[in-house]
Amino acid sequence: MKTTISLAALSCVMATSALAQDKTLTISVYSFAQDAYKEALYDPFEEICGCDLVIETGNSVERMAKIEANAKNPVIDMAVISSHDALSLARKDLVAPLDISKLSNHAKLYPAAQDPIGGNMAVGYTFYASSIVYRTDLVEINSWADLLDEKLAGNVALPNITGTQGPLTLMMLAKAAGNDSTDYSSVISSIGESADDIVTFYSRSSELAQLMNQEEVIAAPVGRFAWSRFKSSPLPFAWAEPAEGQAGGMNVMVMTKGNGNEELAYQFMDYWLSTEVQTRVAEALIDSPANTEVMLSDDVADNLTYGAELINSLNILDPAEIINSREAWVEQWNTEVIR
Amino acid sequence: MFFNTREGLALALPAAFFALLLFILPVGILLSEAFQSDTGWTLQGYFDFFAKPLNRTVFLRTLKLGVLVAGTAAVIGYAAAFCIVNLSASARGRVFGLVVLPLMISPVARTYAWIVILGRTGIVNDTIVGLGLSDTPIRLLFTETAVFLGLLQLFMPLMIISLVSAMENIPRDVIPAARVLGANWLQVFFKVILPLTKEGLVVGGTLVFTGALTAYITPAILGGSKVLMLETLLYQRVNVSNDFVSASVIAMILIVMSFTANLLLKRIATARK
Repeated sequence: MKTTISLAALSCVMATSALAQDKTLTISVYSFAQDAYKEALYDPFEEICGCDLVIETGNSVERMAKIEANAKNPVIDMAVISSHDALSLARKDLVAPLDISKLSNHAKLYPAAQDPIGGNMAVGYTFYASSIVYRTDLVEINSWADLLDEKLAGNVALPNITGTQGPLTLMMLAKAAGNDSTDYSSVISSIGESADDIVTFYSRSSELAQLMNQEEVIAAPVGRFAWSRFKSSPLPFAWAEPAEGQAGGMNVMVMTKGNGNEELAYQFMDYWLSTEVQTRVAEALIDSPANTEVMLSDDVADNLTYGAELINSLNILDPAEIINSREAWVEQWNTEVIR
Repeated sequence: MFFNTREGLALALPAAFFALLLFILPVGILLSEAFQSDTGWTLQGYFDFFAKPLNRTVFLRTLKLGVLVAGTAAVIGYAAAFCIVNLSASARGRVFGLVVLPLMISPVARTYAWIVILGRTGIVNDTIVGLGLSDTPIRLLFTETAVFLGLLQLFMPLMIISLVSAMENIPRDVIPAARVLGANWLQVFFKVILPLTKEGLVVGGTLVFTGALTAYITPAILGGSKVLMLETLLYQRVNVSNDFVSASVIAMILIVMSFTANLLLKRIATARK
């Protein structure tokens, strides 16, 4: 009898353990800093939830294509992407509106991050500023317009229109030219006229960091997330504060529609947005916090996009504008700039 | 060799099955996308591709660089191969090893070396400025010249290997015989060496041309988005625009270019008979 009870208890324990192992959350994330994320976010969460995280990485296009291809039977439960990519998924009815009552940390977020694309279809988890990195010993940058100035001819790199930084640069160059509308055709034309004087149109911030460290380029627009690559260089780089201000963007979390794993996904999202995790991720210099309660030392803050004053001052391009106009921008860019 | 055809077929079956399942079938499915529309089979993807000026420019640039790289590799390759086959056996082995050595180094490492050489603070610009040929460094990176040099260095060994192997089969007496009969070196090359090594030239030419067309890393690093080639455009279409139709069109164009180059070279070689 005793043996029977022991066996029954053992099988119960094994079944519970198997159930815990069966709890799996599949997330789709950017491929950078995965070791740091594992330490700051994934491992602690797995301990809390008693579940397994399956992490899928890749660039935005690949990851969005996968979500679209598996729309009827989602393999991804939640994804982190740019706000305009989130809007693109929302328009295709691939993501579900979020029930913010299940996100206890939602109210702690900066207002801009709480409902960035409308309808609670996404929630922001990090901001990034975008400005110009330049060599202080060779040039002075006071305006975004300096990028196309003759004095910098042959020494500037610009981001490609197909990346996240490209449209932000168009917006700021338009502002510098006194154009507050979202019609950037004249800006693209002026970049086209100066195309021979642009060293290259880079796609990745790592590529730009290499070019600037090899002294091929002395000024270029880039996201603040890449600043640590320049800060640690022996060359004198500075982060410009142009008259028109800094551009900015946001990455967001989305829930895929009908994934059947919503409860666990909410638990993970809420954990990621918590003050504890946002602080840990910021201190590891991975992402700038979207949670207003995060307190950082000056040293850490200096590497990130941090603080209400800075975040509220960022020029953020409307995600809808990017989606609506991107095709036309790329078309004009290919005709007049790349040629 | 075989007792019957069935045995021969049975031996070839695993390789054929492997190629069919893992290469011909997926590539066929991918390429067929470029011929499909909602209404059926069409060539519209190709018309749309060539209707865009950027695509035409990229196509012509890829073709031009492919021909230039293959042509230059042939000229330099003949001179190098001629030297190598006339060395003593031990020296030939050592020099041949040097020719093959770059093939053992990753194309990424080899291409990054060009960034160091062609950069503003690189050896070439240091020399140009040092000799007073220019006051300021010249822009060499992200130009067609940089891509050309990178591709030439990348594929030259393939041409040299093909030509050395062809030249080793030339009977030792024919060149001295031609010289004794009064032929100058130019005549020796065009009347004796070239006809006897045309197979090697066809193989080397096809390998270098096809390699230059389909190389991705070198044009991506040395040309960037300012010197787009078909291969870098293909990558952009897939990874940035998620446009598989254009990507299939580009892949098909690259395949057709490679086969055409091989056929043309073979025809030229046959015509010289």
